[in-house]
Amino acid sequence: MSRISFDGSLYAPAAVEAAAAAYAGYAAITLERAADAVVAVVGAVHGADRATIEHAFSNLALQETIVRTRRAAASGTAEAA
Amino acid sequence: MALDEQNGRSEAGESRLGFTLGPDSVTFDVDETVYPLEVIYGGCYLFVDRCYVFLSRPSERVVNVRLTSRGPATPAELDALAGEFANELLAQAARLRLSQGTARIREYYTAAALRAAASAPSVDDLLAELDSEELGDDPLDIVVPWEEKAGEKGTGEK
Repeated sequence: MSRISFDGSLYAPAAVEAAAAAYAGYAAITLERAADAVVAVVGAVHGADRATIEHAFSNLALQETIVRTRRAAASGTAEAA
Repeated sequence: MALDEQNGRSEAGESRLGFTLGPDSVTFDVDETVYPLEVIYGGCYLFVDRCYVFLSRPSERVVNVRLTSRGPATPAELDALAGEFANELLAQAARLRLSQGTARIREYYTAAALRAAASAPSVDDLLAELDSEELGDDPLDIVVPWEEKAGEKGTGEK
């Protein structure tokens, strides 16, 4: 079991949740909400080695965060215009 | 974090560019006052398909970037990866500044284009305009069918 801490100022909680849901088939991931972070507790993994799954899961969390941030910024600009 | 605890990977070495090298990974801090988060995200987005990217915040206004190769990598390869990322940060920062600097003129052109599109006549309007036009005289016999003209000239020649 390992813990990955996603800083709240860098990762969107919803993005981490989406990534955890996407990797549910590869690892038992539970999320803990801290004051300024979302901590993912990665349990048993299957389908690949633990490091690869954790790295890929973190990558997806970051990618989801970026996409959501950009989407929100674009819709905000459109509304402002 | 468990991602640091990797066995069987290549050994860390010296970074020629001053980055911190680990087993198949390279880390460095980015000053957010120089490179805004939007810029860092832009760089990350371009690198997530090449390597594993993880961000953390060691202190306020500082973002720690860790790039982990998808396979075994030499110190030189990790150095090159981080160097490319740093270059990309610079490019993204320049792009952001340019985008902010030209935002008003782009808004102006977009608004002008939308105004022009809104005031342009529709196809129905153009057809109605054509229908309402009165055809004037036809001194050159343009509306006379070719067969009639050719028939008049052609009779008696053969």
